[in-house]
Amino acid sequence: MRRAVEPQFGREGVRAVMAATFFGEVVRTPCRAGTEDEEEEEEEGRRETPEDGEVRQQLARKREVRLLRRQTKTTLEVSLLEKYPCSKFIIAIGNNAVAFLSSFIMNSGVWEEVGCAKLWNEWCRTVDTTHLSPTEAFCVFYHLKSNPSVVLCQCSCYVAEDQQYQWLEKVFGSCPRKNMQVTILTCRHVTDYKTSESTSSLHTPFLKALKTQNFREPPCCSLLEQPNIVHDLPAAVLSYCQVWKISAILYLCYTDVMKLDLITVEAFKPVLSSRSLKSLVKNIPQSTEILKKLMTTNEIQSNIYT
Amino acid sequence: MASQYDRAITVFSPDGHLFQVEYAQEAVQKGSTVVGIRGTDIVVLGVEKKSVGKLQDERTVRKICALDDHVCMAFAGLTADARVVISRARVECQSHKLTVEDPVTVEYITRFIATLKQKYTQSNGRRPFGISALIVGFDDDGIPRLYQTDPSGTYHAWKANAIGRSAKTVQEFLEKNYTEDAIANDSEAIKLAIRALLEVVQSGGKNIELAIIRRNQPLKMFSAKEIELQVNETGKEKEEAEKKKSKKTA
Repeated sequence: MRRAVEPQFGREGVRAVMAATFFGEVVRTPCRAGTEDEEEEEEEGRRETPEDGEVRQQLARKREVRLLRRQTKTTLEVSLLEKYPCSKFIIAIGNNAVAFLSSFIMNSGVWEEVGCAKLWNEWCRTVDTTHLSPTEAFCVFYHLKSNPSVVLCQCSCYVAEDQQYQWLEKVFGSCPRKNMQVTILTCRHVTDYKTSESTSSLHTPFLKALKTQNFREPPCCSLLEQPNIVHDLPAAVLSYCQVWKISAILYLCYTDVMKLDLITVEAFKPVLSSRSLKSLVKNIPQSTEILKKLMTTNEIQSNIYT
Repeated sequence: MASQYDRAITVFSPDGHLFQVEYAQEAVQKGSTVVGIRGTDIVVLGVEKKSVGKLQDERTVRKICALDDHVCMAFAGLTADARVVISRARVECQSHKLTVEDPVTVEYITRFIATLKQKYTQSNGRRPFGISALIVGFDDDGIPRLYQTDPSGTYHAWKANAIGRSAKTVQEFLEKNYTEDAIANDSEAIKLAIRALLEVVQSGGKNIELAIIRRNQPLKMFSAKEIELQVNETGKEKEEAEKKKSKKTA
């Protein structure tokens, strides 16, 4: 909710507007109403040279999202959910959500890898964009061998804004099935959580949910309040599901530790009682052991904090 | 709004925050939990041990350090910052002893550490120390002391406190369970420290380190076996207490 307060000219001569946000803090936002002079100057700059075009094409190729089968190294011709239709689609985005699925869901049966999404952007640590090594697959998709209508995605890389639409097209396709339920798990730093309460009263980590209109079940935690918003791939998936009237819910864990952390992973436990995941959980004590092993191998690496 | 005022340590935000100091306090939350208890005749420091690599020498990863024969401290936060602060505090302890021929009081050395930390919140080009410390010991008058310092340079005396990751949970436990009975004798105080730590330490005794100072005695670090014994005893007492409760309700 923004109200324009007064217009001002910034350094570039673009009109900027001082606006008040939900809590009343005044911020500077760019104004989309331009002037006539600006448009003429912009048109001149827009004319592209052939070299510019080539560079742009190379960049687009580099940033392409590819969906392939690792075993055969072949690209999937159709979208993943067209090739492997499912009734339950569970997506974990971020290392804590991925660790949660690995420990609590993936030990409950035999999961077969059905594909992986390979992409590159500035946040990726690998330089080589052409060769995919087993440890560098970024988004891996599995289905349960005993019940192939359950598909799971573990996404531990950052999918940039320009790649999110490609990812959605390659995974969901252009005309997705409506009779499936999508569950998304992800984390966000608690400093992004906006609340009128004092931050020292927040008991992190805590879970919040955001769902599409077609999602009828009660969520496993309280809903995300305004003016908080969801970002990046989780937001893209949820918006896609809302547009296509797919039943979907996002469980967002606000935490103060963004690296792999036991307490943050365990904060997702209430989600195990949801209809999607209840039938997939078999042995919680064993899952807790697997999680601890995951943690210790990770914790040993850093000596910065004691 | 914060991003305009959080780059330089010497700049206040319009609403009076020093964001770098507050961010330093976040760094403290990344260190593992430390709990300190002041008993009647004993002071106890318990820490959650950090996991050590297979090839790493465990003795070089220590959270509890002696500053002098009668004072010790445990920290949570940036390891390297702690090393620098401990080193300066140790030198000050000896310098004080040589100058005035008396060992430092716990309050004196705490004030020294706090003053050092405060200087780094007011200097250009330096960042605050990213550690909080619990300093325990006995003065010449035989009274046990427990002090806590934080990155802003404040220090306060406590009966019991916790710092580091999940400190809030431990503090809440201590507020409920720190009673005169709980610190009636030395072993009760030690058990209270262990129970407080077990609220947040996942894998039990093998991830706990414990140190105590008794009146007129030097610092004693518990061995792994002694800790295991204490943890088992605490576990048994907890089970018995729970059985009694369930009998009462039945």
